[in-house]
Amino acid sequence: MEIEADKKTVVPGRLAVDICGLVLKNPVMTASGTFGYGEEYAPFCDLNRLGAIVVKGLSLEPRQGNPPPRIMETCCGMLNAVGLQNVGVRAFIAEKLPFLRQFNVKVIANIFGETIDEYRRVTEILTRAAGVHAIEVNISCPNVKKGGVAFGAYPDAAAAVTEMVRGETDLPVIVKLTPNVTDITEIARAVESAGADAVSLINTLTGMSVDIERRRPHLANVTGGLSGPAVKPVALRMVWQVVRSVKIPVIGIGGIMTADDALEFLITGASAVQIGTANFIHPAATMEIIDGIEDYMIRHRIGCMKDLIGSLQTDGC
Amino acid sequence: MAEKPSVAIGQVMENRSVAPGHFLLTIQLPLSFATPIPGQFVMIRDPERGEPLLPRPISVYDFQREEGHAILNLLCRVVGRGTSLFSRLNRGSTLTVLGPLGRGFTIDPDVRQVLLVAGGVGAAPLAFLLQEGSLLKPDSGKRKVTAYLGAGTSELLTGLDRFQGFCDLRAATDDGSCGYCGPVTELLAIDLGGYDAKSTLILACGPAAMIRSLDLLLRDTRIRCQVSLEERMACGVGACQGCVVAIKEGEGRIGYRMVCKDGPVFDIGEILWNPSVDG
Ligand SMILES: Cc1cc2nc3c(=O)[nH]c(=O)nc-3n(C[C@H](O)[C@H](O)[C@H](O)COP(=O)(O)OP(=O)(O)OC[C@H]3O[C@@H](n4cnc5c(N)ncnc54)[C@H](O)[C@@H]3O)c2cc1C
Ligand SMILES: Cc1cc2nc3c(=O)[nH]c(=O)nc-3n(C[C@H](O)[C@H](O)[C@H](O)COP(=O)(O)O)c2cc1C
Ligand code: FES
Repeated sequence: MEIEADKKTVVPGRLAVDICGLVLKNPVMTASGTFGYGEEYAPFCDLNRLGAIVVKGLSLEPRQGNPPPRIMETCCGMLNAVGLQNVGVRAFIAEKLPFLRQFNVKVIANIFGETIDEYRRVTEILTRAAGVHAIEVNISCPNVKKGGVAFGAYPDAAAAVTEMVRGETDLPVIVKLTPNVTDITEIARAVESAGADAVSLINTLTGMSVDIERRRPHLANVTGGLSGPAVKPVALRMVWQVVRSVKIPVIGIGGIMTADDALEFLITGASAVQIGTANFIHPAATMEIIDGIEDYMIRHRIGCMKDLIGSLQTDGC
Repeated sequence: MAEKPSVAIGQVMENRSVAPGHFLLTIQLPLSFATPIPGQFVMIRDPERGEPLLPRPISVYDFQREEGHAILNLLCRVVGRGTSLFSRLNRGSTLTVLGPLGRGFTIDPDVRQVLLVAGGVGAAPLAFLLQEGSLLKPDSGKRKVTAYLGAGTSELLTGLDRFQGFCDLRAATDDGSCGYCGPVTELLAIDLGGYDAKSTLILACGPAAMIRSLDLLLRDTRIRCQVSLEERMACGVGACQGCVVAIKEGEGRIGYRMVCKDGPVFDIGEILWNPSVDG
């Protein structure tokens, strides 16, 4: 509903983007799990200025996550094994969403489940809540019925989750892809055929780090997800591949620290970007990235995002 | 109530070595920086460097407002790459300072005797508590403060000067070069019977081993005790859920709390030391 209203009233600002009917002031969103439920960063950022806030991944019931240590810094990046700790979808709606509704910002609920039915039920509950503008489906979660292999690792499982969520809501559905696969374009095409309105990528790359003195893994979970500047080239390459394989919008994520990084993704063809680990290093990173993109547009006399997105020149490459 | 945190650009006014591997950073901040509560911490990072990537959490050791600016003091120990680089910062270099963060110590009005128990640089937040004044403010009546400071050797009893003359002092060193020879918790164990359990509050900060011994020591007493815990952090503001400690949630259930937001100060009785063994 609100999306429709916005479509009419939004003055097409230089930075505005339209992702499957979801009109954003600018292409800069926060990445799930790195911005809490928004309130954690309210002292440092004007939340009204964000393109969208993607909240921490939500499950049907609260999840307590993995034992500590959960994080470890690595070369130009970090590993995390938070284990999808979250308050659960009902507490999110009751306790976190009212805060976010005070702001003029699009809220995207990131969801996950251990079974396809859990994805469906979380979607059903969120669709009825006021103030959720889109659903981002994290398919990196292990499928308990399939021996814990991530839904996102196989085209058929990824498509099945997408189809279920698609059938349950009229909100735009963004499917978030894992990079821990042989061919990410195959998964992207599968979720596109299953009805995804957009895809976002990448989630973290599975990694590991060892304490040589104690001869133990640094993380209690042994492995964790790598994020930050270290993953950016891989993320960019995957965005490039996916942009050429699907017709739906692609949201670029991975190691974006500055406006220049964000511009690399946009030029490569991402319709929007998400900022993750950068928030930890610089709590107002998103604000600077928005300003930096605008400066670039002015400097290069680019009137609207459409003229920038996918403007990569590869002739002669 | 804690004031709102912010991100400030600080300028190093002085960086002084206070003992081998220990340094005192004096940072000038804008006046807009909120006044920290004792036990709160800041996240600091060198903006000139691409790595280490993540900011590092350091407790507030001292905070003063002067004309036109605020002065923040941090007492640090070199343990790895980040702290090693901080130890080499020159006067005039800049640092981004995020804070003040977390929940500090809380002292109930009925407390008559406060025992500050510190190991090494764990003295930092306790020294700030003592200096900041609320512990001994007029309405606290005849409140007594005794500090138990422990370190490897006498020269590592950093921050000693901030306690001397402000409270009763008991020192312990592993090599006996100052005060009691042995762990500070052993010294406390000797004295403990002399304190009235009902009106005594222990506030502690130090290495995990010290906090664990303290937990064992206090298990059979009813003395209240708050400890400042450490865990690896990324955001410092409760967004990443990376910095959790296991706590007892009743009915044998385990819960996780964030050190940066729910702590760093916790009641010692809440903490579950080894979830797989104790839980
Ligand atoms: C709330 C809080 C307050 C703190 N206050 C102080 C202080 O006042 N003075 C001070 O010197 N230090 C303090 N610390 C510890 C300090 O944050 C770590 O020593 C520092 O982050 C290590 O960074 P590094 O890059 O030098 O070491 P790294 O190379 O990251 O690690 C080296 C070693 O330090 C350990 N380590 C790393 N990070 C932490 C951490 N956050 N907590 C505990 N151990 C860690 C690792 O296990 C490793 O063995 C505090 C920590 C917390 C959480
Ligand atoms: C601490 C942490 C928690 C995360 N939690 C989630 C999550 O709950 N759901 C999700 O889809 N992605 C999660 N992610 C992945 C990020 O949203 C993002 O895809 C990834 O970190 C890469 O972007 P970055 O390099 O900018 O951080 C998390 C990442 C981090 C670092
Ligand atoms: S450091 Fe991120 S939640 Fe505590």
